[in-house]
Amino acid sequence: MAQTTYPAEAPASATPSAQTKRRLPLARALDESRFFPTILLGPILVFFIVWNVVPLLWLLGVSFYRYKVTAARPPQFVGFQNFLDIWKSTEIWGLLGRTLSFMVLTVGGATILGMVLGFLFWGSGRMPGRRLALTLLFTPMVLPPVAVGTFFRLIYDPIFGIANFFTEKLIGQRFDFLGSKDLAFGATIAVDVWMWTPFMILMTLAALGSVPKAELEAAEIDRLPWLKRIRYIILPNGKFILMLGILLRTIDSFKTTDLPYLMTNGGPGNKTEFVGLSLYRTGFEAFQMGDASSLAIITLLIAIAFASIYLYVLSYRETRAQLQ
Amino acid sequence: MAEIRVEQLTKTFGQLRAVDDITFTFENGQVTCLLGPSGCGKTTLMRIIAGLEKQTAGRVLFGDRDVSRLSPSKRDIGMVFQYPVVYRGMSVARNIELPLQSMKLSKAERTRRVDEAIALMGLSAAAGQDVGTLDNGTRQKVSVAREVARQPEIILFDEPITNVDAASKLQLKRSLKELTRTLQQTIVYVTHDQTEAMTLADQIALMQDGKIVQCAPPRELYNHPDDRFGGWFLGNPGMVFFDAALAGADGHARLDSPLFPMPVAVETNAGRAGDVTIGIRPEHIRVAAEPLPGGVPAELLRKTIQIGGQYLVALKAEGAPESGFKAKVAPYHGERLPSAGLVHVELPLDQVTLFDERGSRIAATLRPRG
Repeated sequence: MAQTTYPAEAPASATPSAQTKRRLPLARALDESRFFPTILLGPILVFFIVWNVVPLLWLLGVSFYRYKVTAARPPQFVGFQNFLDIWKSTEIWGLLGRTLSFMVLTVGGATILGMVLGFLFWGSGRMPGRRLALTLLFTPMVLPPVAVGTFFRLIYDPIFGIANFFTEKLIGQRFDFLGSKDLAFGATIAVDVWMWTPFMILMTLAALGSVPKAELEAAEIDRLPWLKRIRYIILPNGKFILMLGILLRTIDSFKTTDLPYLMTNGGPGNKTEFVGLSLYRTGFEAFQMGDASSLAIITLLIAIAFASIYLYVLSYRETRAQLQ
Repeated sequence: MAEIRVEQLTKTFGQLRAVDDITFTFENGQVTCLLGPSGCGKTTLMRIIAGLEKQTAGRVLFGDRDVSRLSPSKRDIGMVFQYPVVYRGMSVARNIELPLQSMKLSKAERTRRVDEAIALMGLSAAAGQDVGTLDNGTRQKVSVAREVARQPEIILFDEPITNVDAASKLQLKRSLKELTRTLQQTIVYVTHDQTEAMTLADQIALMQDGKIVQCAPPRELYNHPDDRFGGWFLGNPGMVFFDAALAGADGHARLDSPLFPMPVAVETNAGRAGDVTIGIRPEHIRVAAEPLPGGVPAELLRKTIQIGGQYLVALKAEGAPESGFKAKVAPYHGERLPSAGLVHVELPLDQVTLFDERGSRIAATLRPRG
């Protein structure tokens, strides 16, 4: 019996080593090849090129044409004419100004509120019901904008909206929040701030979590006032995460489309029409692909500029600290 | 100036008793090192003194002031952490001055204290530099200077040298020694490094499993540990232990061990017969190629050289553990030893410590019987 087992075992143990021998040269060749990183990156590169680079180049190309999809004539090359039209159009400048104001106010509001609430939650480690409160607080962020838009249109409704129920009780007056030229812009901002404050709370909590415990304890022992603790310990440690949050919100807020579309459809007049909505209308309602593409390129450049400014500020401060 | 008194202090984390019913006084104006292996509760004890951790039971008093329920900022203490804490984006001098600004001191007084602290820690050259550009050792000096400038009654050090590179370690240790000599404040210094404790401490409080097992000046603790743990933990390598038997009546017992060629008389008031442990520091064991008057033959297993030039030798002898034991031999004697084979070892009786079955030291005088 023993004699029969030995030969049976021998090939079994020999097989893996034989396989290793066969595989090794190929694995080693791959490993040593300078194309290996490219091979590994290949799939994502293909995806990136097909879904990002090609459409972007297409967009750039179309922006040099006068091209209306519904017109019965072929696209006509006009060079930089579309961009010149944008440059000269007071309407577009107004649109950009309005979008920037919306962006500054929503991002600013959400950041300030988010940081204040974040700080409060940070110190509430032992508060009963903290987890539930946090979950509820994060709900607006996870709701789809389409739901939020519809929801707030109902809240703001001049006849049966709950907002008017309270204004009537408090100051005895009803308002058409979304229909009034003076209120619609503010009402839209309030909803965006409501929706995105939780995101900034999250970023603030993450930033606060990155502050080394010893530094906070040292500040407590050194009896530093709270403002100094924030300035010298919390901000230097958490600024990168906070800046990242602000950057993401800035870019996102600049291209907000769905919320004003659902709540006001850009109105009254063009009071709540921002770049995103305008792009949608030019491209998919008026089918002016050339104009829409050139405006999209400008929007993209502005977004890139924001990102660069933030990153520059961050790295500049780091470098300056290291050089001194 | 204030002494620190902890009374029946206990801290539990779930099932673990990190600090186990400690009653102890950290003397006024002295440097007390809390020394012990990792997880013995020394840092927890210090954090409770600082107010950074809440005790499960017991009290903390600074002089007559009960601070048990006060927050750290109200305790008027200074603390230096394991990780060098500096306030970023400002110079060394400004770092030291920052806490002083909240103390309502005059500008002249602040400047005087900052200059004094800078001079004390040898930071004059770096005073104007941004703290971001400094290495860890210098940063730690800045954090020490900052605490010194505040002139609190008590300063706590939590392993301040651990995260500093080797080159700065010695320098920082020297600065701290100078500092502790000058300050005369009540200082508690937590470390697991016995050399650090031996260098800096007036008193070492040795901790094990949440308790302070012995507190004594460094040399006394080293030479006369109260129990086996102290003997084993201090020294590199620690004390060597051999099993032996104590026979006879009160006052005049007899120690039986093959490690002594002659009968050994033990004068002790402990008055117990039974199994005991002989403890001796490796550097006190005599090893020679030629026979020694109070020695026994032994087998030399290995001979290696250690830092400091001393030979560390592994030996095997009758009455010693099967795995052998270690002795430290001065270079002159070490060079005369064979690399392996027969040698002679002597355990000088005046260097031998006896421990009972529970590991506690038996106060005893040993001498040859005869």
